[in-house]
Amino acid sequence: MAALTVLAALAPAWIHLDRDLAPLLPAGLAALVVVGVGGAVAGAGGRELLARDPASIHPISPMTDHLGALLLAPLNTGWLIQTWALLGLSASIAGPGRLLAAQAVTLAWILAATTLGQAVAWAVECVRRGPRGLAIVRGVVGGLVALLALAGALPEGRRLLVGGPAGAVADVVASPRGLPVALALVLLVGAAVGWTVIGGRFAQLASRRMPRDEGRLETRTHEARPDPRSDLAVLRRIDRASVWRSVPLRRGTWLLAIAPGAVALAGGLDWSGLVLLPGLVASGCVLLFGVNLWCLDGRGMLWRETLPVAPRTVLLARACVLGEVLLGAGLVTVVLGAVRAGVPSFAELAGVVLALLVVVGQAVSAGLRWSAARPHAVDLRSARATPAPPLVMVGYSLRLAMATTFTSLLLGALAAGGRTDLLLAATAAFLLVSGLRVARAVRRWEDPVRRAVVVAVVAA
Amino acid sequence: MTGDHSFRGVLVDDLRVQFGTVEAVAGVDLRVDQGQAMALLGRNGAGKSTTMRVLAGVVPPSGGYAVVGGHDVREESLDAKRVVGYCPDVGGLVPRATPWEHLQLNARLRGLVDWEARGRALLERFDLGDVAHRVTAGFSHGMSRRLSVVLAALHEPAVLLLDEPFDGVDPVGVEATFEVIQDARAGGAAVIVSTHLRDLAVEVCSEVAVLRGGTRMATISSGFMAGDEGARAYRALLAG
Repeated sequence: MAALTVLAALAPAWIHLDRDLAPLLPAGLAALVVVGVGGAVAGAGGRELLARDPASIHPISPMTDHLGALLLAPLNTGWLIQTWALLGLSASIAGPGRLLAAQAVTLAWILAATTLGQAVAWAVECVRRGPRGLAIVRGVVGGLVALLALAGALPEGRRLLVGGPAGAVADVVASPRGLPVALALVLLVGAAVGWTVIGGRFAQLASRRMPRDEGRLETRTHEARPDPRSDLAVLRRIDRASVWRSVPLRRGTWLLAIAPGAVALAGGLDWSGLVLLPGLVASGCVLLFGVNLWCLDGRGMLWRETLPVAPRTVLLARACVLGEVLLGAGLVTVVLGAVRAGVPSFAELAGVVLALLVVVGQAVSAGLRWSAARPHAVDLRSARATPAPPLVMVGYSLRLAMATTFTSLLLGALAAGGRTDLLLAATAAFLLVSGLRVARAVRRWEDPVRRAVVVAVVAA
Repeated sequence: MTGDHSFRGVLVDDLRVQFGTVEAVAGVDLRVDQGQAMALLGRNGAGKSTTMRVLAGVVPPSGGYAVVGGHDVREESLDAKRVVGYCPDVGGLVPRATPWEHLQLNARLRGLVDWEARGRALLERFDLGDVAHRVTAGFSHGMSRRLSVVLAALHEPAVLLLDEPFDGVDPVGVEATFEVIQDARAGGAAVIVSTHLRDLAVEVCSEVAVLRGGTRMATISSGFMAGDEGARAYRALLAG
């Protein structure tokens, strides 16, 4: 990752492009703020240094927790990709002569944006844990997303979004001279220190309040429903409940379903751009629990493994639930994005729909493989919980992002060229590969020794 | 040894379980007849829970032979699981499902019909009726233990395996667990209770097997393991 970061920050300076990239810089800077704030708010204060329950017996102060979350913030694919793109953009615009000054300002912006995201996340968490906090936060976040979408849809709104601090910093990066650079550095680093202190204060306040969302879900009553008609149905029902009654999974799924769609809506993305979104959503959603599917059972996996049901039925139920979450989130995104994308041609529409199917297949098959190969004991009760340690998550997300982006680009290119025949053939090939991988995962899951290892780890 | 499939209790012969280089169970022999209850005692790491997990079908044995209710746990895994009711030593509950949903899952996969009345009665007996529709993530340790016993007993299994059923459980729960064990024995089930609480074990079981270092040191009648004399005998067996 360090090598990739250095490469992104230096190499583009020596690559000559005919196109002027400077107009893209303000949007790139503003997007990093959106990603930083959105990720930290959805993660209820960012990543945990230690999982909540094991951490509770250690004297970890809220400030340490806050600083730890800041330290772990880069271990997030959305943040990483955005940062690499921004560093590359700055290097390309500044060129070799003024590279150092430009990148210093860009790095200071990245620092300030990340600390701002963390501070906002703790502030939101404070409100969320207060009286009627859930309703307030949902209302405000919903309103802000709608406002952003509206602002993005209007030229004046777009100018407002990419103007202000992002616009001013973009000017400094584009032509870095002594005094403006020094001033920008002082202001941005000062802001970063300020946001860090403010974030720590909000973290302290939040730590004194009960996490209402989690408490509400854990004490909620769910009326009995009629007995399901089949083994698969009862397994699917309990797996679905495990997903939708978990705060991080529910919140993460909704965020990933709505946020990219809202951005597409705001940016007026056309159908050739929309084809990339299902891959983005699927690779994001599968990271919520799909890469460690068995952690949904927690310690209950020990008991579930004693139930008389074929292992393949258990696995298929889990795969179905993962598939429906990914498909549902992808559909919401596509529908939102389609609002301003105009009337598609048949090939464009087919491209988006088939890309959604293919990336869901890829994500499900990857999730099944990784869940059996590298299980982790994780309790998904905390809103900040992730299904695997941060570094492992980065590895998973980069691999998924690369696979789904490549696939979407290929299908998008075939759709743009109007080659529906090749589009269908490529889709069939991708689905066949995913199907074979799922079949192999089913065969491996039928091995009792392999299952026993997973049970021992997950139920530990 | 070949399996005696007409025998409906628990039969274990030279059972071995290896985890990497560690031999967790190193040649355990057990026999529990129908209508009998055996307590497994021993220090931490003696192999009690691993033996229970083999009998419950969670851990495949590395060697030896284990039959539950007439079914070889290795060769007839699904049939063996059908006749076993298992309360695991840790957790054992799906965190975001309700007790009733656990019962529904259990009943459906075991093909039970008209199980609801027994399910409700068991929940009431274990004082869990009020929380039957609440997710188990918020349950205390004792509540989780009690629900695990309910889940093990719902289908009136031919083999009832209870691993640390009294751990952190209040007197009402202990009494209810005693009743479940007595009912199971009266119904002809073979019962194995793994616990560190010797006094409770000898009260509810007819025999006690003491494990040490993955092997069975002795099988003794419960009467000899009761009281101060029993405590001395137990300590002597643990010390070797």
